[in-house]
Amino acid sequence: MSARGVEQIAEQSVAQKSSLDELIRIVQRLHRGNKVALGILWAVALFVALVFVAIVVLLLVQGFTALINPSFYAASDLGVGRQIFNTFYVLILTEIILFPLSLAAAIYMVEYAPQGWFVTIVRFAAETLAGVPSLILGLFGVVFFGSLLGFHISRLTGALALLCLNMPLSLRLFEDALLAVPRELREGSLALGSTKWRMIRTVVLPSALPGLITGLILSAGKIVGETAALVFTMGVSNPSNVFSLDPLISSDTLTIHLWYVKTQGAGQIPGLTAGLANEVSAGSAALLILILFIINILARSLGRAIQRRVMAA
Amino acid sequence: MQRAQMMRLSDHVARIIFLICAALIVAVIIGVFYFVGSRAFLVFVLPGGSPFKDFFTSTNWDPTASLNDNPTYGAWGLIEGSLIITLVSVIIATPLSFGMALFMTEVTPRWLSRILQPLLEIFTGMPSVVIGFLGLVVLVPFLGKLTSTLGYGYAAAIVVLIVMIMPTITSVSIDAVRAVPDSVREASLALGSTKWQMMSKAVIPAAASSLATAVVLGMARAIGETLAVAMVLGGHAAPEKIFSLQSFFVPATNITKGILEDFGETSGVAQDAYWTLAFLLLIISFLFICISRYLASRSVYK
Repeated sequence: MSARGVEQIAEQSVAQKSSLDELIRIVQRLHRGNKVALGILWAVALFVALVFVAIVVLLLVQGFTALINPSFYAASDLGVGRQIFNTFYVLILTEIILFPLSLAAAIYMVEYAPQGWFVTIVRFAAETLAGVPSLILGLFGVVFFGSLLGFHISRLTGALALLCLNMPLSLRLFEDALLAVPRELREGSLALGSTKWRMIRTVVLPSALPGLITGLILSAGKIVGETAALVFTMGVSNPSNVFSLDPLISSDTLTIHLWYVKTQGAGQIPGLTAGLANEVSAGSAALLILILFIINILARSLGRAIQRRVMAA
Repeated sequence: MQRAQMMRLSDHVARIIFLICAALIVAVIIGVFYFVGSRAFLVFVLPGGSPFKDFFTSTNWDPTASLNDNPTYGAWGLIEGSLIITLVSVIIATPLSFGMALFMTEVTPRWLSRILQPLLEIFTGMPSVVIGFLGLVVLVPFLGKLTSTLGYGYAAAIVVLIVMIMPTITSVSIDAVRAVPDSVREASLALGSTKWQMMSKAVIPAAASSLATAVVLGMARAIGETLAVAMVLGGHAAPEKIFSLQSFFVPATNITKGILEDFGETSGVAQDAYWTLAFLLLIISFLFICISRYLASRSVYK
């Protein structure tokens, strides 16, 4: 081999080596970038999770002294016994109206409505309503249900405002539950000659029951935690006959009480010192968190449990 | 024969009842727009009201004439407050939420997502009054000590809002990222991309318009957020120098706080001014919903 040829081969291998180096550099850079990005994602996720956990722990710790203090639950100006009663009263009153209405609307949307302008309009209305701030729905409630329909500031007005607030979410959850029922079940029932309503009643609703229960409980969580829609529709104080089932009296809930005690009413409720106001509001916040935890766990487990029972039967 | 007729009749009745219930939701939203809108323009036409231009440019908000002899209706300070805290909180919450969503769909081990998922769901339904309470007793004193101010103001409201809207943006983003089919990911990996390249070059662009929907929904939630924000803003007027860092630590106000705290104590023209604010809020959230619908309709994977 001539000297020239050897030189050529050496040059080629140098060029190959440098391009190989280049490649290795690129790969290394990419992998470093990958590692950094994944590291950042881990850091963000852990940070956020930590903040969330810290918030829950802080709330529970702050409210702990109130939660184990029996006088916190007293039905007086200084306890929250009345507020707890009102919270559950309004929850049940709202669900009694909300559940059948939303379920009926969902049944129409899933089973009856032909695809077309009506479905489009209802979808659009539901999405718009879901985006309306709850404060505005409270104002609407006080004008429409309170003044125009003459319910004044009362539990019923509050429940109706909550109905407007929760209908879009319930509608969507119930629609999902109904859509999850397999088509074959419906066709089987119709093929046996039942009418549509009979088919819905005997086949669709029982099989959709777990999903419906879950939807019901999820809306319950939203109702318990709502404040802005209730401040104007239910009032911030209690009459003396607060433990009656009368839907036309004004009353407050845990959330309203928490806000009112902490910001407006510190000097207005006799006997409520600043320290006591702190304790009452911290206790209410912790209690709300606990109620929401229970609701969340129920929503996860109850639907599944019912499904198991229905499937086994 | 009679039985069949009865069945047919009940079928018909049920159908009509269901139809009415579905139509009810349309009636409610029309009612909301009508009843809020019908009072929204009174402040501009009634005697003792305010000209249209002053309402949106002046910052003297005093409908009850508690400061001067004459009521003044300059709502710009309130509107400004709402816009600033909404924008800043969304700008900060968006990268955090996207990071969280990517982490939970693409990176996390299974056991960790099992812990994070319920946590996220609880925070999506977190009552705003509880977060506001925590902001009031923990965040405000902390910020106050940090900056040697009162602690109330835009900064506290922004932090509180981030906590309120992050779960919403995250859970919508998770749905958006999950909707991207695995074939997109596999194609990207098969071309030799790293995991991060796959996420940033394939998954995020594929989910882009759904992710934008998530941000807009977060904005809609942020602008309407009431209790949490109202509890930590703590003031009655906008800060004076709006574009300085100090203005974020001065007690301030926004639309929802104004309505929440003063609507009930007013009447007449003063109350009409609050209705105008309410209508403005309604229109803004309606715009956000329209934008999010438009973006959602453009998304490829649903």
